[in-house]
Amino acid sequence: MEKSTKRRAILAFAGAALVLFSGSLGLVLLPDSATFPIVVEASDVDDTCSGIAVEASTLGAARASGSVAGGDIVPVRSIEDPYPILHNEAAATENNRVVMSDSNRGSILFYERTSGGDSSKVTSPKWQVRGPATGMMFIAGVALDAASHEVFAVNNDIGDRMEVFPYDVEGNVKPKRVLFVPHGSWGVSLDRTRAEIAISVEHINSVVVYRREATQGEAPLRVIHGPQTGLADPHGIAFDVATKEIMVSNHGNWAPLTRAQATEGGLQGGRFALPSITTYPTEAKGDARPTRAIQGARTELNWPMGISLDAVHDEIAVASYGNNSILIFHRSDNGDAAPVRVIRGNRTGILGPMGVAIDTKNDELWVTNYRDHSAVVFPRLAEGNVAPKRILRNAPAGTAAVGFGNPGAVTYDSKREEILVPN
Amino acid sequence: MFARLANGNAGPVRVIEGQGTKLSRTMHGIVYDAAHDEMIVPVHLAGALLVFRGDAKGEQAPIRVIQGPHTGILRPETTALDLMHDEIYVGEDGGKDILVFPREANGDVTPLRTIRGPKTGLDEVRGVAVDPVRNVIVVSSRSRTGTTGLFIFNRTDDGDVTPRAIIGGPKTGILRIRQIAVDAEQGKIFVAVKNNKESYRFEAASPSPWNPDEPGFIGVWDITDNGDVPPRAIIKGLASGLVWPAGVALNSKDREIYTIDSVRNGMFTFHMPEFFGSKRP
Repeated sequence: MEKSTKRRAILAFAGAALVLFSGSLGLVLLPDSATFPIVVEASDVDDTCSGIAVEASTLGAARASGSVAGGDIVPVRSIEDPYPILHNEAAATENNRVVMSDSNRGSILFYERTSGGDSSKVTSPKWQVRGPATGMMFIAGVALDAASHEVFAVNNDIGDRMEVFPYDVEGNVKPKRVLFVPHGSWGVSLDRTRAEIAISVEHINSVVVYRREATQGEAPLRVIHGPQTGLADPHGIAFDVATKEIMVSNHGNWAPLTRAQATEGGLQGGRFALPSITTYPTEAKGDARPTRAIQGARTELNWPMGISLDAVHDEIAVASYGNNSILIFHRSDNGDAAPVRVIRGNRTGILGPMGVAIDTKNDELWVTNYRDHSAVVFPRLAEGNVAPKRILRNAPAGTAAVGFGNPGAVTYDSKREEILVPN
Repeated sequence: MFARLANGNAGPVRVIEGQGTKLSRTMHGIVYDAAHDEMIVPVHLAGALLVFRGDAKGEQAPIRVIQGPHTGILRPETTALDLMHDEIYVGEDGGKDILVFPREANGDVTPLRTIRGPKTGLDEVRGVAVDPVRNVIVVSSRSRTGTTGLFIFNRTDDGDVTPRAIIGGPKTGILRIRQIAVDAEQGKIFVAVKNNKESYRFEAASPSPWNPDEPGFIGVWDITDNGDVPPRAIIKGLASGLVWPAGVALNSKDREIYTIDSVRNGMFTFHMPEFFGSKRP
């Protein structure tokens, strides 16, 4: 037992090394003819399959002996991204804070508002909250409450909960509050005047509104859901407190959830609609029609992700992932409206934008990149193919972004010798 | 798309993305058709099956789309190909079914066959694979009230039919199950046993969503297995890197197993000649 325990310790170290120094460990291929070079005793494995005894064996030998082949095998290659991948962001100008969600390592990162520069060096966050006690996993939307000094973080496709943390905490800390939210929640926005939070839910094409202080299994106050809502794979969400509205970005995917839904009002199947920004009264519920919808070829929307409202200048900024753009619309735009400004091009540093935040106090616009380890900051009125005024990097410049986000399948392309992963 | 030999913090060599592709987030299946150089992806949130050229990249549109009310598709989760009989299989979690289409189907077409109903035992279908040699279909299904495990049907089954075998139970180690792959040459089923039962406990001293009580593994069963039987082979444990393996794919030529882990956000390659028999293809 002592011997095997020691062996396991070596394997664990090798596994960690594979992540940290994987480039140097490439192609450690095992000989074809060998039986397993790694022997792990059943008692040494955290084995939950009752009745399984793990021992070194070929499949054939295992079959003959009635035992199980394999065990705790070290992968010969692995692809992982050790750096945060920025998913969404929120800025609180009152406190000079910017918070970003990291869907790769399940963390939130706090930066000073003036962070970043033009160098290729990494910008360290002021605080990072991460670890098993936080409960954060595939984290997507974030929102800040500068008055209550709280940050709201929504788990997307796994976790199904929203964690609330106070400002100025760091590391592996328990959340202040936890709210169970629907599977597929993505965006979150806060209405301080009504003390409410709104969350967009991809899978069920809904907006759910809760009390700001809601916790555990508390039911939402209101739900916007139904065929007339125009909600179709919703992502970004923003309260407009002044006009008493909620804006939502939609990718346009819709499909019935159940056989009953597929026959409501006649037989219907899945469909692709054009992406859109739909707007509802704050108090809308049920199958409410949007009061406005920005949708059409002139909008240039392409997988619209995060949205941000500029209530001072009556504008909306949209992170348009599919065409690496930030699109600015008038706050009251409706129909097939062209954006008033577009930030796009090879000088912008925008690559797979997920989040956007407008800082009206300091006249800046922040963008988080999913396909690059960076966030970029522009003057609020930036337009065209312009360089950002600051870049925040969470990995050295040029570091590849693997881009996995809760991946669920894999296949092998034998013609090109490539491994394909839908994400 | 990643190079087979990519290792470490490697970026993809190709990416298909953007509105024009009709892809979305929440895609839990994929299959590559080596004979016709095509790839097939189910789009859960749009109730569609997309077929792309094998060399597609960027914002390239699919060459065929199976979608619409007559397809019977609700939310497709997984897909498989039977090149011997030129058919595409689609498995659905919410639909609790398997739909079979001609390989070249396009548009709002009716399925050739549908396996659905209480006799099937199917609930949330997470994976499907075909063994055209033995004429069977293998389906992985997760259920909160019934059996979670592998359901084996005759290839031409249609309607509310009873499976010919079910692999499930405590000895299997299967709590939650995802993608599967079949090695028809050997008659083996490779299974991503995700076991993503979260263990986050608010009152515990150290709640840990990262290291669930029941870690996932890659399990291998014989296609003739039936009942509550342990896997014939397994990849599991700390050194494997697997926490919640959600996908599994085979490369018989190089005798490699690929798995994707949804907590680690990682892809792991295991060189396992012992799992592929004595003959090289």
